[in-house]
Parts: sequence; structure tokens; C-alpha cells
Amino acid sequence: MKEYIATFHTHLSAMRTQRALAGQGVAARLAPVPRYLSASCGTCVLYRANEAHLGDMDADVERVVEKSVQGDGFMELLNRA
Amino acid sequence: MKKRNFWVILTGVVIGIAALALSALGNPGNMGFCIACFLRDTSGALKLHSAEVVQYVRPEIVGMILGAMIVAMLTKEFKPRGGSSPMTRFVIAVVVMVGALMFLGCPLRMMLRVGGGDLNALIGLVGFVAGIFVGTLWMRGGFTLKRAYAQSLTEGLTLPIIAAVIMALSAFLPALFAASESGPGSMHAPILIALVVGLVVGGLCQRSRFCTVAASRDAMLFKDFSMLWGFAAVIVTTIVGNLILGKFHLSFADQPVAHTDGLWNFLGMALVGWGSVLLGGCPLRQVILAGEGNSDAGITVTGFVVGAAICHNFGLASSAKGPTANGMIAVVVGFVLLTLIGLFNREKA
Repeated sequence: MKEYIATFHTHLSAMRTQRALAGQGVAARLAPVPRYLSASCGTCVLYRANEAHLGDMDADVERVVEKSVQGDGFMELLNRA
Repeated sequence: MKKRNFWVILTGVVIGIAALALSALGNPGNMGFCIACFLRDTSGALKLHSAEVVQYVRPEIVGMILGAMIVAMLTKEFKPRGGSSPMTRFVIAVVVMVGALMFLGCPLRMMLRVGGGDLNALIGLVGFVAGIFVGTLWMRGGFTLKRAYAQSLTEGLTLPIIAAVIMALSAFLPALFAASESGPGSMHAPILIALVVGLVVGGLCQRSRFCTVAASRDAMLFKDFSMLWGFAAVIVTTIVGNLILGKFHLSFADQPVAHTDGLWNFLGMALVGWGSVLLGGCPLRQVILAGEGNSDAGITVTGFVVGAAICHNFGLASSAKGPTANGMIAVVVGFVLLTLIGLFNREKA
């Protein structure tokens, strides 16, 4: 199981994605975007899954990253900033 | 302590100390910092309104915009973006200013007033949180101003450049501007100190994303309490500071630049809270985002300046004597406008 963070251009887009992931049985919740990912104060979706579920992202997705096991490190999987 | 909480708390403490220092150096009582009042004063200095007691180019605002810009550039976070319903944001900004000038202060000044013992501000705080709650209901219901897009460097730099030019002109050619000879506009800290304090606070706010609205909004939407630490830090710092300086006066009556009409203090700040959630951040946060190259925030700050002019040109702004009839009507109209904007900007969640 890996931890992912998806950021979005709008709060609505984050809500839609969280619901889509939850509908797939993925443990996903809304949260403020971590500071190390962005200076803006948008909404992200934090989720744990075996794969990144990029196909379940809303059209206004900005970035999807896989979190490192420790610290603030991450691996970029998608970037539409 | 978590690293993210450290920056937020540091920002809150520095804002509190800076506000106390600026008041001690000449700014009006409990008004070391106030985004609404300072943009209103600047609007007056630019002769957009003719209220003679509130006209002065406030260096703190310019400093905050430039401080945020400099830090964002140094950290490669200066990103020109915009196009997220700019005209709607402009209207919401005008509405937020109507609420702020009904109460006599932005959320930051509300916190400074609480820190000075002003009980009217506590009522404002309850209204502010209630307004934020209403705003979060709209967010949950699918409210959106749609996404922003990457823009040119020129677009992102325009507001910071305008702010810098106004500051330079007011320092070297002061005769161009209106300047209060009495009242709050005549009370100010030395220009250079105010500018430097603004730069420091702006830079810190850029690092921490300090936002008075996010404190409650994030708690309500996400059960995330990080920003509440900063909110508390400002209030605790100013209470302690005012107690040490002998300036803590717990009362409703005779507070500096404040009135005692509880209902309209509540409703004014409720309007500010609701509107700010729709904008995505409080007036202070909009100033910082504008410094980071966000042209939507630039339009919002412009809306605050125009809103302040409207408030004084049409008798909507309160005074120490209390709210005006025109101001009460404007606040009600503001609630109607936010409802209409909410209804016309909803999508299926």
C-alpha cells in the first residue's frame, strides 16, 4: 500500500476525485495542500492504494505525487500545473 | 512541534509584535495592521474617496506585497496565474469591504482588537466564524469560481509594480496625494519602519500561507487545525503585549476606532467571513497572493480599494458613532449578492 497526494486547480475538483476514489473503495480524504508541494492554499486528496488511480482523477487535477515513506520527499507521477 | 505549525506560529507572533510596535510608533490604537483600513486609507490618498480623516498611502501594504513577491521569487514560487472568474472576485471583494467597514476592520484587525480587550471584536469574531461556516456550506455544495491558468510575467508583476510606484511617488512627491491632517489617516508610524515591517510580515506570510479565514475554514472542512495556531498566536501575543504596555482595556465602550452596535458588528464580519471563503482566503491572504503573481488576487485587492471608495463616497462605512443606515442596507445587499453569486456558480459536486 502506497500513499499518494493529488492536488487540484479547484476545491470542487478535489471533492469530485475524493468521491470517485471512495467509490472504488480507496481510503481517500480531503486536506489542505502540504506546504512543501505548493505555496497556494488549495485542497488536495490524500489516499492510500496499491496504485495511483490516475484514471480516476477529475479533469482539473494539477499534480499527483507518491509520498516517500519518510519525510517530505515525493515522486512526481503527473503534472498539469 | 510540527514544522508547518512552527512557521504559522512564528508568523502569528511576529504579526502581533509588529502590530504592537506600529501602534506604539504612531498607527491608530489596535490598528498596527489592518488590510481593510490601510487599503481604505490608500484609496483616500489616491483621491478615490474624499473622507478627509482616512487618507494616507500605507507603506505596510506595499511592503507586504513586495515582501511576498521577493520571497516567492527567491524560492521559485513566483507564478503568474489568473483567469478564475475575475469580475466575480471583484464584486465579492467590494462586498467584503462593505462588511469590513461596517465592523471597522479586516479579520486581522478584529484579532488585534480582541487582543486589546475590545469586546465588540469578540462579537465580530463570532460573526466571522458564522460567516465562514456558511461559506463552507457553499463549498460543500459545489461552489466554484473555476480554475486559474498560467499567465505572463507582466500579468503577475503588474500589481506589485503599481504598489511600488505609488509608494515611491508618495515618498518623494507627497503633494500628489491627499493626506489626512486629523483622524486615523493622520496617525502613522514612520514610513521606512512601516515599509520594512510590511516587507518582513509579507515574506513570513508567503512562507507560512498565513490566513485568518483558513484557520476556521480548514477546521470545518478538513478537521485540520494547523492555521488555528497562527490565529491564536496573534491574539495571545497582542493580549500579552498590551498587558505589558498597559494598553489592555477590557470593555465594549470607548475602544479606539470602534463602535458598540453588536448586531452590525456581527453581521459585518459574517459578510467578511462568507465572502472570504468564496474568494479562497482573507484580505491579508489576497495581498500576499497578489505579491506571488496571482492576478485574481490582484483584481481582488483592486476590488477592496474600489469597495473602500464606494463605502466612503456613499456613506456606508461606520464610524466610532456607529453604523449608518446606508451601511446597513449595503450589508443586506451584500448578503443577497453573495447568495446570487453562490447560486450562479454552483456545479454538481
